[in-house]
Amino acid sequence: MKAWWLRPMVRLVAALLLPFSVPAIITLMIWALPGDPAEIICPPEICQGTEVLAARWNLDGGPWKFFSAWISGAMQGDFGKSWRLDQGGSVYDLLAESVPTTTALILAGLLPLLLGAIGAATGLIPRRVDPVASAVGLVPAVVFALLCAAIVELNYGAQSFDTEGSLARLAFGALVLGFADGAFAGATTGVRALFRTERKQRYVGVALLRGERPLPNMLPNVTPALAGQLRARVLHLLSGTVVVEVVLRINGIGDLLWSGTLLQDFGVVLAAATAFATLSAALLFIQAVTEILVALVVRRAPTLPAAVAVAERAAG
Amino acid sequence: MIPRKLAIALGVACLLVLIGLGVFAPAHLSEFDSDRVYLGALDAPPFGTDQRGRPLLEYAQQGASVVLFPSLFAGMVVGGMGVVGGLLRCVGSARVDTAVQAFGEIVGSLPRMVVILVVALLIPAGSRGLLPLAFAWAVLASPGAMDEAASVAERLGGARFVEALRAHGFSWSRVFLYHIVLLNLRPVVVRQAAETAMQVTFLEIALSYLAAQENQSSFTHADNVKSWADLLEIGYPSLVLDVPTGHALALGLGLVAVVTVMSLMLASAARAR
Repeated sequence: MKAWWLRPMVRLVAALLLPFSVPAIITLMIWALPGDPAEIICPPEICQGTEVLAARWNLDGGPWKFFSAWISGAMQGDFGKSWRLDQGGSVYDLLAESVPTTTALILAGLLPLLLGAIGAATGLIPRRVDPVASAVGLVPAVVFALLCAAIVELNYGAQSFDTEGSLARLAFGALVLGFADGAFAGATTGVRALFRTERKQRYVGVALLRGERPLPNMLPNVTPALAGQLRARVLHLLSGTVVVEVVLRINGIGDLLWSGTLLQDFGVVLAAATAFATLSAALLFIQAVTEILVALVVRRAPTLPAAVAVAERAAG
Repeated sequence: MIPRKLAIALGVACLLVLIGLGVFAPAHLSEFDSDRVYLGALDAPPFGTDQRGRPLLEYAQQGASVVLFPSLFAGMVVGGMGVVGGLLRCVGSARVDTAVQAFGEIVGSLPRMVVILVVALLIPAGSRGLLPLAFAWAVLASPGAMDEAASVAERLGGARFVEALRAHGFSWSRVFLYHIVLLNLRPVVVRQAAETAMQVTFLEIALSYLAAQENQSSFTHADNVKSWADLLEIGYPSLVLDVPTGHALALGLGLVAVVTVMSLMLASAARAR
């Protein structure tokens, strides 16, 4: 039999490595590109003092010097400086401005998915809704976002960047994230299939015969699978933020990553991708811990002395 | 449930439309024609013209040529990886299962769009194309396909199923290629491949649209080639302003619908009997 701890351990190791491996790979990419990395910031044909700049930005000592300096700075909250987007400006300031917006967008986008999952688990959302949700989910995020952007512009016009307009953009962004690309349909059908399979287990039948409700019996056993599904959904939302934020002009971390990529601003891309990696690592960690807790607390077989004591009490 | 023959006919028809558009795509758009600006589909068949009097048919053709090969290639990669995932489960080795799981955890742990953007940074401006991004997307989509195919193989009986068929005297190739892949893994593998091809097409549209919105070059094609995203960009003002470009939007959405129908029908055609 396969060891139960293998999967959570793989996840824990991946979670630990992810926040370091992503900036390491991007650093290697900077040096893999043709030319001197410092010339990306300061092309010699239009700017002088490339060597001084390279020394100041830790680009003069190879990838290891740059990576070690960046990672030690990042651990203290210093994510370096922007190379092109806001040249010389602090990336921390850009992140501080965009992370709360993206967090709000993700949480709002998660709401329909959680409601859908709860509705599917409890049976409040019937199976006949699934084809409709699937049909809506076929619309790609970019098309859905375009339609929502048009609605915002038609309703708010020049005021679409005021507080009310910005809130509307956020709400529509969450709507797109929650329903486009099969997000809602995936959440409902995934949870429904999970509970349908679990319901066929013998212990659920026994619980029903004892007059108990099936959901509280099934929930502890399906928790690891639910945690896995939740992680997949949040990753899907994170992936969608880039498209949604750019099309709906929401100043979030996805928009920041896109702008950094377009302008080859490795300073911004490094920080934004690491932020995404850290969040993904946190999700992996939560899933691994959930699996370990369920294995230790819920599925633990009674120890031998305890089982013997129970048998003796029963016999006595 | 759509009848299998109808699903095959519709799926193949959509695929042929895309291949036809892509194969006959012109290398360059036509010259400007100020007398034919923003003509509708009836005035300039089959799809009308753009703001410079050029036929939108050429946009559709060039867009199809951009997505056609990379999306099919990505679909085949995912399908192939799905087959590998299913067959590895039939080997019945715990170590192989652990290695496959570790691969899936690491590859699937990051948001796909973030990885795609990081890969896009590596592509030099002079040699931009969808193929490397499509390959990256296929690698990211592979763990899901492998996992699903492995579940199918496990429900089948895994190594015991292979053992039983071998005991009946079937050859290795018949057991693996016919009984496991063709009869049992086919629905999963074809569906995953078709979905990935669709996703890569949508990825191209999204990346090109985002770049066009910022007046930048797309990562997925050269500047002299138009994408289906350009149709959406031309058509979008018709939703908010009094600009007669609704025909471009309709064409862009129509092409998206063709790709979606193709994916759904091919998946439906390959379903288990």
